[in-house]
Amino acid sequence: MAAEKTQTMSPAVIVVILVVAVATAFGGGYAIGSINNASNQHHTLTFVDDYNRTVSLEGYPQRIVSVAPTPTEILFAVGAGDLIVGLDAWSDYPAQTKDITKVGDFELNLEQIITLKPDLIVSGDLVPQTDLDILESNGIPYMIIADRNLSEVYGSIQLIGNVTNHASNASQLINSLKDRVEAVTNKTLANGVSHPKVYLEYWPMFTFGPGSFGDDIIHLAGGANIGAIKDTEYPSVTDEFVVSQNPDVIVYTTGPSTTTNSTEIQARPGWIQTNAVSQLKIYSMDDNLVSRYGPRIIDGLELLAAFIHPDLFT
Amino acid sequence: MKVEIQDLSFSFEGKRVLKDISLSIGEEEFLGLMGPNGSGKTTLLRCMMNFLKPEQGAVLVDAKPIHTMSDKDLAQLFAVVPQTSQIEFSFTAYEMVMMGRIPHAKSRLSSETKADAKAVRDAMERTNTWQFSDRQYASLSGGERQRVIIARALAQQPTILLLDEPTVYLDITGQLEIMDLLRELNREGLTIIAVMHDINLASRYCGKIALLHDGRLESQGTPEEVFTPDNIIRIYDVDVIVRKDPLTNSVSVIPRITTIVSAMHGTRVHVLCGGGTGGAAIIGLRDAGYAPSAGVINVLDSDFELSEDLHIPVVTEVPFAQISDETHLQNLQRVMEAAAIVVTDFPVGPGNLKNLEAAVAALGKGKPVFIVNAETVEKRDFVGGKAKQLIDDLISRGAVKVNGKQDLMAKLAERLGR
Amino acid sequence: MNQENAERSDPFIRIKRRRTLYLLALLALLTCTIFICILIGEIGPIGAIPGGDHISIGDAVNILLGQSHQYSNIIWNIRVPRIFLAGFVGAGLAAAGMAMQAVFRNSMADPFIIGVSSGAAVGAAAVSLFGIGGMFMLFTQPILAFIGALVTVFVVYRLGTIKGHVYVDTLLLSGVAVAAFLGAITSFMIYVQQQQFHQLAHWLLGSLQSASWTEVEIIALPIVAGGIVIYLYGRELNVLLLGEEAAHNLGGNPEFLKKVMLAVAAIMTSVAVAFTGIIGFVGLMVPHMMRLIVGSDHRLLAPASVLGGAIFLIWADAISRSFVSLPVGVITALFGGPFFLFLLRSRRLRGEGR
Repeated sequence: MAAEKTQTMSPAVIVVILVVAVATAFGGGYAIGSINNASNQHHTLTFVDDYNRTVSLEGYPQRIVSVAPTPTEILFAVGAGDLIVGLDAWSDYPAQTKDITKVGDFELNLEQIITLKPDLIVSGDLVPQTDLDILESNGIPYMIIADRNLSEVYGSIQLIGNVTNHASNASQLINSLKDRVEAVTNKTLANGVSHPKVYLEYWPMFTFGPGSFGDDIIHLAGGANIGAIKDTEYPSVTDEFVVSQNPDVIVYTTGPSTTTNSTEIQARPGWIQTNAVSQLKIYSMDDNLVSRYGPRIIDGLELLAAFIHPDLFT
Repeated sequence: MKVEIQDLSFSFEGKRVLKDISLSIGEEEFLGLMGPNGSGKTTLLRCMMNFLKPEQGAVLVDAKPIHTMSDKDLAQLFAVVPQTSQIEFSFTAYEMVMMGRIPHAKSRLSSETKADAKAVRDAMERTNTWQFSDRQYASLSGGERQRVIIARALAQQPTILLLDEPTVYLDITGQLEIMDLLRELNREGLTIIAVMHDINLASRYCGKIALLHDGRLESQGTPEEVFTPDNIIRIYDVDVIVRKDPLTNSVSVIPRITTIVSAMHGTRVHVLCGGGTGGAAIIGLRDAGYAPSAGVINVLDSDFELSEDLHIPVVTEVPFAQISDETHLQNLQRVMEAAAIVVTDFPVGPGNLKNLEAAVAALGKGKPVFIVNAETVEKRDFVGGKAKQLIDDLISRGAVKVNGKQDLMAKLAERLGR
Repeated sequence: MNQENAERSDPFIRIKRRRTLYLLALLALLTCTIFICILIGEIGPIGAIPGGDHISIGDAVNILLGQSHQYSNIIWNIRVPRIFLAGFVGAGLAAAGMAMQAVFRNSMADPFIIGVSSGAAVGAAAVSLFGIGGMFMLFTQPILAFIGALVTVFVVYRLGTIKGHVYVDTLLLSGVAVAAFLGAITSFMIYVQQQQFHQLAHWLLGSLQSASWTEVEIIALPIVAGGIVIYLYGRELNVLLLGEEAAHNLGGNPEFLKKVMLAVAAIMTSVAVAFTGIIGFVGLMVPHMMRLIVGSDHRLLAPASVLGGAIFLIWADAISRSFVSLPVGVITALFGGPFFLFLLRSRRLRGEGR
């Protein structure tokens, strides 16, 4: 409706030019970036991590920084704890972690990590990969541990053992873990053993759904996870749902930010009707035993099995 | 710079807003674009500045169509003063006016030149806004702000100034400030085209009026030619009286009906008056739904003028003459046709004493007579006490005293059972 | 009388002088900011983590002068690019915010008003949800965030434009509506993926942690180009504030201008957001702060906002990464809010403006 104007450039042209410029910049930047990352070191140790990344080291790492709790626990479990020079603030197990320098909680302190002169960073998969890449571009390689089930846990333990020159420790640990698992499942998955319904709450009104680690553990512990019929791995639940499912056992996790306790659960509307509440089969366990997918998950399994089948595990 | 609008038509969303408008505006003219709401006057203004593109017809300046002109040339030709400039952000008055120099800027990168500074200075001094230079525009009064905007328009150094209802948000001081300024600028040679909403203001200042109605140009010419009662009733749908303002010698319009009459029962009431005293009673009666008549009044009397304007039947006499027998008879006839009589507080002289006699006659026939401000009769008795005598007589025989229009209307309604 | 006249003709000269003065002052402030903030970090010299290795001011200066030091790569490859990224992002957000405030004629407008942030969030969330790796790996998230942002802006633009005329009020409302809709989608995606949420959370809170020379190289061109375009249209932005008729009459083409500004702001903001996530407050408040100091003339306000935005965000990031462990978006709000209120109050007390 406005009168026709002659302009030097239509806005569409300007947009196209700018977008092309940005695209070129992206491409160019990426290309330049990858060139800068080429390094000429002599590699004797090469392996593939849980993200299918090929990592090459000059030898066994002597100074390790772990930026996630699960790799930390695995490192200590295979006997490589003395190689650790830096930890994230969440790595709090085992007790030796207390004295090791902390390198960040909300965000990693990249500069600090570099001053610790590590030759390997071990990470979980919740750390922003861009941070790790920055460290890599400063000459520090990283590996990622990401387990989704028990066999992957064994695989990670072995991998870390291999990388830190504690391969035999790792194998022994794996065998002992497998034995412990078998000891549990021999009883819980035997013929004729019942499978009480279990509600495992890792956060108020949140449970483990199908395909999650927690679901797997409940099954191995001889329970029937009421969350297994949900759609997602970590679904939320309603009072209605839990009450209608009528779990026989309720387990809730505790940690630094827990707000729940047994009394609170009993007071939830309608829950008194469930077997678990009416028979007071409400138990708690350390949050980390079902969220850190390292050796302690087996501890978690054993504890859960004892809650679910007290008669089998006195 | 002669502006010529040829057969201009414009539609918006399928509706024709302007229909075949043809108008020419001469050099140094002060044109008022008027019309009721929705008549298209603002749209016409916007077509004139090439803000809107007409679907038909063209606007030509010195025979050159404006849509072929560049933005820059157009900006140096037309300067626009919108209705109001609500600014959320803080510019000083100086910065506002300096924006008018943008059409004169050489390129995007160039900054203001000394010539720009001079043009701004001149414009601000001309509009008496130079003293506001460093003050925030938003802190000025309505009239001051409009003057600053006009200064900005002047800084553009245009030949034609276009204004869109420049006084609509101003109080009376502001209105006069702006219009006086515009008149001066016009006298100095600036062509001014203003959309106006106030008929009286427009006829006071504009040399020419273009009256639009429903998208068509209904009338153009001087204010006297355009603002006739016929035009106004046709276009604005308001019944008006047109008077020539004695002070400014311009026409002014006054709506005829002061109140909307809810029930016209048309009961005849005759008003004996004169000397300008009958106005209130006549209007009051008319507004309350009665059908007043008046007499005897001489033709130079303002009561006569009022009666003529309101189309009230009136018995007249030539000025400076005594009421003749014939006239008196006409008056008596009116009296007898009426259901009630009102005697206003007119000065009584030998020439119109017969008006009081008519009242006596009316009372004799049993008609209710109402006398306004009877107490003051002595002061306006110029017949040696006869007026007082007649008034007292009327009262003693049942005439009702009233002391004002409201009192009259109340007692009249009571008496006539309305 | 002559002397009075001479004084009175000053506004012209005074304005020019003021302009130069302010820009020089801001430039100086920016330079100081850069040099001081280069000295701030976990290994010092300012803000060092106690008990760890740290460098002295002398070391830092030597490193900057090119001497090699065991930690020169920390300074050059981590700190300096981060400062530059903060500078460019702050400048870009402030310039885009200023442009949006002019286009929408609304002092509450910010660069995210046209849907950039919500679109970018969807793009970023999609990366983790669908596990999109792809060839660009490291840059997958920024690229998808950028695409998400641009597509969203385009949709909002189409909703608010009828027959080539940009209706600013409609644009604003469609921005709000689209943002709400996309927000719901993002929430859903977060709920569904859960496991990968942590990656997205960092991005949503806004962070300059990912800074590298590569990112700086990528972001520099759009920000600089966009900033220049906005500056060049400075006069017309002034006039745009006067209303459509006046804007048209004074020789601008308001429609064209609006479109250009929307496009430029969208691209600048999208690039910034793609790398750093959503850092609020800068785009809204910095133009206001600058307006209180230098006035509303966009030809001065544009460069002032650019410089002011850079200074602001560089400081906010420096504080965020050393003295307190808070997301930079929280720092910008914590410090910017009271500072802005202080400016507003002192202006009111001086009796200017509204």
